[in-house]
Formats: sequence, C-alpha cells, structure tokens
Amino acid sequence: MKIQPPKRSLKFLRWFCREDFIEEIEGDLVELFEKRYEWSPAKAKRSFTWSVLKYFRPAFIKSFQKINNSNTTAMFKNYLKVSWRNLKRQPFFTALNTFGLAIGMTGALLISLFLYDELTYDKMFADADRIYRVNIDNKIAGEANKYAAVSGPLAEIMRRDYPHLENLTRFKHTGSRLIRQLEADQNVKEDNVVGADPAFFSMFGFDLILGDKNSALSEAKSLVMTRSAAEKHFGLNDALGQQMLLDNDEVFLVTGIIEDLPDNSFLKDYSLFLSITSFADHDSPAWNNWNFPTFIKLKDGASVPDLQDYLASVKDRYLLPWAMKSFPGLTMESVKEQEASGNYMVFDAIPLTDIHLYSPNLSGDFNLNGDIQDVYILSFIGIFLVLLASVNFMNLSTARSLKRSKEVGIRKTLGSVRSAIIGQFLTEGILVTFLSLVLAIGLASLAMPYFNVLAGKSMTLPFDRPSFWLIVLGASLLLGLFSGSYPAFLMSKFSPLKGLRGGEQTVGGAKTRSLLVIIQFAVSVFLIASTLVVFRQLNFIQGKDLGFQKDQILVLNDVSAVGEQIETFKQEIDRLAKVEHTSLSSYLPTPSDRSGVTYFPEGEVFQASSAIIIDQWHVDFDYVPTLNINLVSGRNFDRDLTTDSLGVILNESAIKMLGKTPEEVLGMRITDDFRNPDEAKMKFYTVIGVVKNFHFETMRNNIDALSLIIGRREANLMMIKLNASDFSETIDQIDALWGELAPGQPFDYYFMDDSFNEVYKAEQRLGSIFITFTTLSIFIACLGLFGLAAFNAERRAKEIGIRKVLGATVTQITLRLSSDFLKLVVIGIIISLPLAWFAMDRWLQDFSYRIEIGWLVFAMAAAVAVLISILTVSHQSMKAALSNPIKSLRSE
Amino acid sequence: MSDHSLGEFEELILLMVAAHNRQAYGVLILENLEEKLNKKVNISAVHMALKRIEAKGFVESSYGGITNERGGRRKKYYAITALGKKVLDRQYELRTSIYKQIPNISFGQ
Repeated sequence: MKIQPPKRSLKFLRWFCREDFIEEIEGDLVELFEKRYEWSPAKAKRSFTWSVLKYFRPAFIKSFQKINNSNTTAMFKNYLKVSWRNLKRQPFFTALNTFGLAIGMTGALLISLFLYDELTYDKMFADADRIYRVNIDNKIAGEANKYAAVSGPLAEIMRRDYPHLENLTRFKHTGSRLIRQLEADQNVKEDNVVGADPAFFSMFGFDLILGDKNSALSEAKSLVMTRSAAEKHFGLNDALGQQMLLDNDEVFLVTGIIEDLPDNSFLKDYSLFLSITSFADHDSPAWNNWNFPTFIKLKDGASVPDLQDYLASVKDRYLLPWAMKSFPGLTMESVKEQEASGNYMVFDAIPLTDIHLYSPNLSGDFNLNGDIQDVYILSFIGIFLVLLASVNFMNLSTARSLKRSKEVGIRKTLGSVRSAIIGQFLTEGILVTFLSLVLAIGLASLAMPYFNVLAGKSMTLPFDRPSFWLIVLGASLLLGLFSGSYPAFLMSKFSPLKGLRGGEQTVGGAKTRSLLVIIQFAVSVFLIASTLVVFRQLNFIQGKDLGFQKDQILVLNDVSAVGEQIETFKQEIDRLAKVEHTSLSSYLPTPSDRSGVTYFPEGEVFQASSAIIIDQWHVDFDYVPTLNINLVSGRNFDRDLTTDSLGVILNESAIKMLGKTPEEVLGMRITDDFRNPDEAKMKFYTVIGVVKNFHFETMRNNIDALSLIIGRREANLMMIKLNASDFSETIDQIDALWGELAPGQPFDYYFMDDSFNEVYKAEQRLGSIFITFTTLSIFIACLGLFGLAAFNAERRAKEIGIRKVLGATVTQITLRLSSDFLKLVVIGIIISLPLAWFAMDRWLQDFSYRIEIGWLVFAMAAAVAVLISILTVSHQSMKAALSNPIKSLRSE
Repeated sequence: MSDHSLGEFEELILLMVAAHNRQAYGVLILENLEEKLNKKVNISAVHMALKRIEAKGFVESSYGGITNERGGRRKKYYAITALGKKVLDRQYELRTSIYKQIPNISFGQ
C-alpha cells in the first residue's frame, strides 16, 4: 500500500516554496516521512506538517517580484493586446459601447459636480459645524410662518446670558442701493447690500485684504466691500478711506476690503456690508421687529438641545414682559388665550450647513435655497444613466458571445483556466470604460457651460485636483469591472467542446438580456412621462388666468431717485401716446416677501377671535386700472373723493375671513391702528370695493387675503401699461424724461411678464434638467436596442433566408423581427407607468393649483417610447428582410 | 560577496558533506548528524545550512537520477568545493594551533 504524506501540508509547501528548492525539500521530507511512518504513522504525519511549517521563512518562500514580473505582466499585456484587437475587429459594436458609456458617464460626471457643489454649501466657513442661525416659528390667525430674521434685542440678550456662546453676528437686510463715489456723478446699483456686525469677520473666518478686522465695521456709516466691487468703483489700491454716497443721501466711509464671497455660500453675490450701527433701529428695544438675521457660534462641545431650550425660554423671559409693557391691552390672560387657540411664536435654531438644502426659502434668507429633493432626484438620474450605459455594455457583450465561444473553446483547450478567461473579458470591459472616460471628459468640458446655465451655477471641471482624478479613475475602474463582470462570468462558463464544434451556447443570456432591455425602457418611459407632467404643469401655471393683466407692463426700478418731482414725472409719462396707465407703488402682484397686518373690525377691537391678519399694500389711484383687476362689488379709489384716503379695497379671500358677502362688506370699517393709546383717535378704513381674487403668489400657494390702501410708503416702482406691441420708441421717450428729472441715476426697467417667469425658475430648471437627461437616457437605451437588433438580424440571417425562400414577404419578416423587441418595450412601459404616476402625483401635491395627470400623458409617453424603438429596430429588421436569401444560405 | 565565515552548525554540515563526498544529501546528513550529536535536528535546519554554505561557495550540488524512492523525486547530492576544503583546513589549523598553546593544566582528577 502506498503511503501518502498529509495532502494539505504538501499543498501548502508547494504554494509557498521556491521552485528551485521544492524538489529537494519535498523529496527529503517524503523520504523521512516514509521512514518514520513505519514507527508511527500519526507521529510521522505530525512531524511532516511541523517541518513544512518550519520551511515557511524568507529563505524558502517564493519572491513576490518574480510573480509579478514574469507571468502576470505578460498575461496582462496579452489581455490588453487581445482586447484591443477584438475592439478593432468590431468597430461598430465598439463604437456603440464606447459612445453609450461615454454619454452615461458625462451625465454622471456633471451631476456629481452639481451634487458636490450643493452638498458642500456653506461648509467653507470657519467652524461651520458650530454655527447656527436663529429662526422664528410663528403661527397667528391660523397662518404658520417661519422667519430667518429675528428681533433685534435677542443678540444683546444672548451675548449677556448664554454661557455656551462663542461668537454672534447680526445682519440687517437693506435691499439694493444706489451708490457712487462722493465726487462722481453716475450712480451704480448694488443689488446685494446688507448691514453687518463687527463680529462678522471673526464669526465666518474672513481675513481683510485691506483694513483692520477689529475696527472695520464698528463705526456708524462705515462699509466693507468685496474685491470685485472695489475694483468696479475705484481699483483696489486707493479703496481705503474712500467716501461713498448711498442712495444720494448718506455718506459712508470705506474701511475694509474682503475677498469675493464663495459661490456656494449663503453670502453668494453679496458685495457691500454696512456697519449695523448705521441703522437707526440697531439698538431698538422692540421685540416685534423681526429684521435681524442672527447667526451664533457655539463653544466646542456645547449641546444643541441646550441651545434650543434656551431659545424656547426667551419668549417668556424677555419678549412677553416687553410686549405687556408696550401694549397696554395685552395681558398674560390674552396671551394664554391666543396660545390656547393654537397660535404660537418660538425662537429656534438651524445649523448653518443645513440651511441651503433643508430649509425652505424664508423671509430673511440671503439667497434662494436649494432643495434636498433635487439632490435626490439628480442622484437617481445620475445612477440611472450610468446603469443604462453599463447594461448596454453587458447586453452587447453577451449578445456577441456566440462569436467568442470559439475563442473561449480554443483558450480552454490550450490549458487556459477559467480565471484567465475572466481576466480577458474584464480587461475588455475596463478598456472600453477608459476609452469612454476620455471621451466623457471631453464631452463634459464641452457641455459644462450649458449645464451651468441649466443648473444656475458657475462650476468648472476641477482638473487640477488630484482627488478629482482619483475618484474619476477609481469610479471608471469599478464601472469597468461591473460592466465586464457579467459577460466575463457568463462566457468563461462555455464548454470548449461545444464552442469548437460551433454549436449555439447562450448560457442564460437571452433571458437576462430581455430583462435588461425591459429595465432600460422602464427607466426611459418613467423619465418621459415625468417630463411631460412637469411641462404640462408649467404651461398650466404660466397660462392660467391670473386675475390681472401682466402683459405689456413696464416696471421702472428705483423711481424714488426722481425725488420731489415724481408726480410731474408720472404725469409726463401719462401724456405719452402709447401709455395707457401708470401707477406708483412698491407692491407688485409678483411673489415676494410680504408680511401681514392685523386688522380689527369696528366695535370688536382687541377681540382676538375677530382679528384678521392680511397683506396690506400701499397703492395709488391708478393701481387697479393699470393691472386691469376686476371688481366684484363697489368701486376703485377716486381721486376726487378726499375720504378715499381712508378707503380700503379687499379681495375675495379677505372678505371670506370677515365672513361677509361682497355686498355686505361695503361700508364696513376696519382698523390697523389699535395700538393708538387714544382710542377716540383710532384711524379706521372704510371698505369701498372688493376685487376678484388674483394670483400674486406662486401657484404653489393659495391666494392670500389682501387689502389695498392709498399710500406712497417706500413707493419705489412705477408700472407703465403700454398699448402697443412696439415698445422701443416709448422706452426711449421715458429714458429721455428720466435723464431730465433724475440725471446720473441708472435707468433700470423690466417687463412684468418676464419677472413672473422668474418665479417659476425652479420648475423650469427641473423641466430642463428632466428633458436633458430624458433625452440622454432614451438615446442610450436606443443605442443598446440598435446593437441588439443588429446582432439579432445577423444571427437569424439563415432563418430569414429560409423564410424568404418559402415565400414570406418583407413585411412579415420585418414585423417578426421587430415584434420581439417591441414586446420587451411594452413590458417596460407597463412596469414604469404606475411608478411615474405615483412620483408625479406627489410632486404635484406641492401646488395649490395643479393639473390632473390623466391618461393622455401616459399614452403619449408610451407612444413616444414605442415609436422610437420601432424606428431603432425596424432599420435593422428591414435590412435583414430585404437582403438576398442566397447570400445568407450559401455561406456555410 | 566573499564571506568566508562559517558558523558552528554550518561547519558541522560542511564536515558531513566532506565526509560523505558526492553521496551527501539532506536525509543522509540529517541521520548522521543526529547519530553523532545524539539529539533531534529538524530537516529544515539542515537545508537552511546547506543553502547558506552553497551560496558561500563551499559546496556544490547536483541532482541524482529518478528512482522509485521518494515518489519519484530526485535527490540532490552535495560535494565540497576546493574553497570549502580550504576553509575547513584553515579552520582546523586555527583550532589545533590554538589548542596546542593550551598549557598542560591539570584539573586535579
């Protein structure tokens, strides 16, 4: 009987031991083993294993370098060479694959950059993770609102008695300002101006290019500007100490220059910072003045719940005592009563880094916020795109497996192990991916400017950053491995016998391919249907009757620059031939920040239950006719009736709150002057008319209650209704008048319907993004389908030949070939439509005024998908059907 | 690298190779050594020393023919080289010359 040394030990020895030693060592070990076996088999085995282990040391172990240098590199070179030849031999499929992958990767690359930008918002500031913004959460008269700006005194209070505070800075919005050097005569408009504390610099970690950080904003009437603003006005060198005139009124001293603010921060585009002490109300003790965006930085290790607790206590400790002192009518009981009826008002805090993505746009925000939902949607689309392209690669590769089965057969016969064949196919996958990457980076650079417009950003491809390359190359490698894995594992399973005999072997391939096509079309149809819904909703809200006429209305900005002569200016414009009406007011029926005013009906003053909080717009006599708003009852303001200066026009929502009909409400008297200590002198407005509800908020919201009164508070805009379609002449005339009455002031105007379109920018952006990526995904899916159809026609050439010989018509054959694919497309459609309906229904819930989705959208989406796939497939099918059967039958 | 140093165990192995010139191979050396030293030695230690003195050029090796023994694995035979012999000679001379200098010391039997 032959005795065998322990197999596992021997295998281990052979694995690690140097080739030139192995025979001697093994021989000696076996000889010893055989000798010892006669004494004691168990002991011999143990001793054998023990000896093997003792050989496991550097002197006997194979050198690693040798492994890498000799065989593996050679194999890898061979993989590359064969892959390259293979790709070259089938230029059509290679082009399809590379192009499809490149398109998918371009999309993914652009989307990733966008996401990176969004997700790093505000993170560049010093200790951004410890900075919070204080908000006010408020519900009064049934209406809940959040404010990003808080009462002025809060800052002082927190500095004094909140122990975990490291730093605090307060802002005050002041809108756009006209600005010029004292001696210059041309005003420039700065859109983004804000008042700021001296602590502003240390809070966010800014260094001044010029000026002193500690004193720059401490004096009243001093300002700090950004580098580019300074360069616009006077160049950087002589910036310090310049005197600037703001709004033709106040002189400010330039005390510092900072770098331009990062594009992905809440301070984006802000260029002028005025010292907060320049504002009259900066030290006002009033708690009802929510004008100060307040940011705080906590000490290291301070807890957020503790901060929230502190903020929650502020109302009882400071706000209420002040309010009860200031408003004699207010008592603890009435506050309790208010709270019992569901009203509230609390201070709370939100982390700085959460503001951009997780907070809706609040009154007091510096810039428009993003939306985490967009981040999710785009992430999904990005993943979809890459997946679609990757699926194409798998599909085409496995479809071609027939052609490669001979190669696999020969490789296996010549002794190739399975892992080597897998290596070969993986290499091909990676090679194609890297070719696509080169193409994708080129495409992305070309598409970047358009994408920036689409996304409303100014991004560039960060070629100079190593991390970018690391991620891009790493992701491509993974993608290549992923795409190559399915064909590799499938084809390496081929039996060499069948491969060489030339038999058909599609190991599970056909079913998986069908599934992949179904997924591709499900995704595409989903995107088509979503795009259609988004666009129909956009059309709906833009075409909906707003209740007033926004067309042909020119809006002049900053008309207060005309000063005293404003009335003359208005009359002069009225006299122009093509002007119908003009109206002076700061309140436009376009969405913007507004705050409600509390009214009490006469005789019910201070009865909380009958208070109504509604918007109050200061308008002039021509407001209603200029906008062509319809009256339901009553009349417009009349210039000749002096009593109309205390008249009020309400909208339908407002009278509904009062619980009256349009006729009943006429003549009713309401007041917002209830804080007047002398009740006898309280100012009452008489309702003189009711207007039909018109949309002055976006269609996301219901129409709020509204009151119009005569007044010129802050009237800074002039609406000019024109009655001709050719405006340029009239605009020139107005410009000439402007030059006379407001010399040196910028003449700035826009058309109201343009600004209305601005409001739906977010939706339009979503629409454009959808349509772009939908096109891409359909394109990729079609590339795949095209490739499959071509392959299918080729494979079934003989079948088609025989069919033709037996008398089948071209139409029959085309139908037969196409219907296979159409079946898959139809299944894809059936799967995706319910999903699309569900997703879009949820999206539409955000709008108060929305379309019904209806079956038409889905029918259209399905029709588009079917049509495109027919176009894609039929070309190949027709070609196959038209070919001469002799050719396909002769070749054997 | 002309490292002519020789460790104690290496010297023993080299002596074994010289003693069984051209017939010396792993197992033979191991068995003779165990007999002389009267203690267990692991085969890996023998191989280690053989490889070292071969690298130093004291021995050379050649494969024998294939036989039925050892599952058909060839034996590797070692033979001492001229250099190896010289090193052994020098080592022997050195030791005997020093040994001769030892005075006749009696340890008081």
